[in-house]
Amino acid sequence: MRSRLKSFWIKTLIFLSVMGPGMITANVDNDAGGITTYSVAGAHFGYTLIWSFIPIIIALIIIQEMCSRMAVVTGKGLADLIREEFGVKVTFYAMTILIFSNIFNTISEFAGVAASAELFGISKYILVPLCAIFVWWLIVKGTYKSVEKIFLFACVFYLSYVISGFLAKPDWKEVATSSVKPVFEFNKAYLLMLIGVIGTTIAPWMQFYQQSSVVEKGIKLSNYKYSKLDVILGAFVVNIVAIFIVIVCAATLYKNGIRIETAKDAALALKPLAGKYCFYLFAFGLLNASVFSACILPLSTAYSVCEGMGWEVGVNRRFREAPQFYTLYTTIIILGAAVILMPNVKLVPIMLLSQATNGLLLPFVLIFMLLLVNNKRLMGGYTNSKIYNIITITVVLAMIGLSIALLFATFIH
Amino acid sequence: MINQTKPTPNPIFIYFSQIMENPVIDKNGEEVGSLYDIIIKPSEVYPQSSHLIIRKGFPNRQYAVIAWADILEANGKEITLRIEKSKVAFSEIHNNKEELTLRRDILDQQVVDTYNHKVIRINDIHLLLVDNHFMAAHVDISSKGLLRRLGFLNAIEFIIRLFNKNSEFLTTEPLISWKHIHPLSINPVSMTIKVNVPEKQLNSIPAADLGEIFLDLDIKHKIALFKAIDINAKAKIFVSIDFKSQKSLIEDLKTKEIADILNAIPSDEATDFLEKLPKDTVDNFLNLIESKRAKKLSQLLGYSNDSAGGLMTTDYLAFHKDTTVESVLTQIKERSFKTEAVQFVYIVDESNHLLGATNFRHLLRTNLQDSIQKAAFPKSYFVHLNSTVKEVAYLMDKYKYFVIPVVDDNNVLQGIVTVDDILSQVISIAWRRLTKIKIRPKQ
Repeated sequence: MRSRLKSFWIKTLIFLSVMGPGMITANVDNDAGGITTYSVAGAHFGYTLIWSFIPIIIALIIIQEMCSRMAVVTGKGLADLIREEFGVKVTFYAMTILIFSNIFNTISEFAGVAASAELFGISKYILVPLCAIFVWWLIVKGTYKSVEKIFLFACVFYLSYVISGFLAKPDWKEVATSSVKPVFEFNKAYLLMLIGVIGTTIAPWMQFYQQSSVVEKGIKLSNYKYSKLDVILGAFVVNIVAIFIVIVCAATLYKNGIRIETAKDAALALKPLAGKYCFYLFAFGLLNASVFSACILPLSTAYSVCEGMGWEVGVNRRFREAPQFYTLYTTIIILGAAVILMPNVKLVPIMLLSQATNGLLLPFVLIFMLLLVNNKRLMGGYTNSKIYNIITITVVLAMIGLSIALLFATFIH
Repeated sequence: MINQTKPTPNPIFIYFSQIMENPVIDKNGEEVGSLYDIIIKPSEVYPQSSHLIIRKGFPNRQYAVIAWADILEANGKEITLRIEKSKVAFSEIHNNKEELTLRRDILDQQVVDTYNHKVIRINDIHLLLVDNHFMAAHVDISSKGLLRRLGFLNAIEFIIRLFNKNSEFLTTEPLISWKHIHPLSINPVSMTIKVNVPEKQLNSIPAADLGEIFLDLDIKHKIALFKAIDINAKAKIFVSIDFKSQKSLIEDLKTKEIADILNAIPSDEATDFLEKLPKDTVDNFLNLIESKRAKKLSQLLGYSNDSAGGLMTTDYLAFHKDTTVESVLTQIKERSFKTEAVQFVYIVDESNHLLGATNFRHLLRTNLQDSIQKAAFPKSYFVHLNSTVKEVAYLMDKYKYFVIPVVDDNNVLQGIVTVDDILSQVISIAWRRLTKIKIRPKQ
């Protein structure tokens, strides 16, 4: 009994040391854009979209697990592998789209910072530059280990949405039934929302980031099962938070028939309905998510691009040793913050562009991943099994279908 | 070989990216497929092409491997075979594990640049076309190579020419000679590096740089490279990487290899590593290594980290007081030492009590037939096992010593502390936040 308890503790310790990449990647997914989408979904469609989070969890686990497996087995990042197996041309174009997609994403993260600044009554001209400097400083001065600890700590703040979910006093019975009972409303608005919710959950940068950070962490094959657990846990945590965002908005805004456009609207509308604590928690959650994602997106971009192009990568290197890395990283942050500070900037076209570039890149990334993960020369005995491949291909086809649908939908819309 | 074709033109340089996908035609001028890859003989300084890999069909690709003897003519536009199309045997796979090929193993892959001491990614390969053979001459890692691969080079050069005709971009060919390249391609069966030729070059890289190169590699390449080098280089790398990397490396090595490394590195480095491991792991490791050394190491592990005992190494030179200078010098010449500080020699009696110290200069200036005691310093200083870092540093500074002996309470010589070990301690005391500072290992 005692030795069993001891081995349980040892396992827990190993898990804690391996945990990080999966949890962080998944949580960054609940960024400013994600929170907006989930708030609108809750406010406009009540609890009826909650069921869709179950297939999302499965898809997220399957896709991210492959990344982490490739990282552990090959010891290389996704961009590295794409370059080595598919050549420089493919890599270059993929990286170009990735840069654009992540610039737009970063802009929308800073938009989230600006929105939460207004919610707290601070001028965005103060908070946005402050956050940009903080984000830049964190990576340039930090090491991988310290940065990861800060990121994991930031994950805890997502709990604010869970608390605000309870503060909104939802009808739990209704929540439970609608999370297992799929509802299809065959109208354009519902389907668009459904595509939007699923589409924001799986973005191309996530695969690159997850794989690089597992590699950086140096996780061994013998500890792979813990890394898998990290991915699974991350997928559950992120979607539970997302469900709570939907619940908050459904229990208050939907019930009172309030229509919203952004996460900021949602927070403001919450104040009279669910009380000021709920409002503050919601606004704080938005700020945390935006800053957190604004850290990861430029970092992930600079990492992937330099990996793929064969330039020096380096959180631990000086500017002169890794000029491309730092230039790219700094430029994306400055661009992201500067666009938001421009007077009269229109956010809708940026959001559309961000979704469009994501949707354009995701099919390719997923196809590359399938080819790579099934390459015996790279993966040895760790390729997908037949059954796993059938599931994976189904998920990948569904994701490709959805992202193309989202691509069209955003422009027809 | 009788030259059946038109006389070979002057040897020309050509980039691999420019001949990739070029058509391959048979002796009747019919198209067989396209040039996919070239197998090279890795044994030479500038390796020559030995086989050609042809690819045809889409999406069901098929490959054929042709020995270079069957090639009639190779130029920058196409490759002509000596045989007929029907004789070319195509199959689904082309992966033979042992050979080294340009496209699979070099292009777009990471290699070690033994000249600039770092890991680089190859953008293009510069080939020399001579007598219908390709020879790998240089590799290109520049942005120019990247642009050439992408097909933008001409356009970019045209634009630059508009602004500045003498731009450095246009005039320079940033290439690295093949002889400085160490391919890292791994044989998937034996998990070792395919090419071992330039090992001498790897061994010539300073340990600190080698350690850094090592950290740039992914885990598979780390292990494969580690297996490719000799024990001295292994020891050099091991002492120059941080603890986390040491630990991660050890996990992937066999017990025999671990024992070899622990035997080869200086004892203070070994204790530095061991003292950070859990106790039962340490006991396992100590069981692996020579019993005499294991005893020494476990003794060293017992001393506090910031005392002279914890810092010292037990690899020192000591001779009995009656030894002649001649015999001392011969022994120094003949024995190989793990010792970091050979220039200092200690004089002891039968039971290893410290009597004095000397150095090479003094030894050389003394009569060969005299006893070693004649060469001794007029006065020798030492520290005790439990002396603090500060005391040791103070003494070393005061008497300008590089090395100071450590004795126990009975004046028995236990080991020596070298200035580099003290320096790293003192620096980390001085700058607390830079505790990670580690003095570069001795060459």
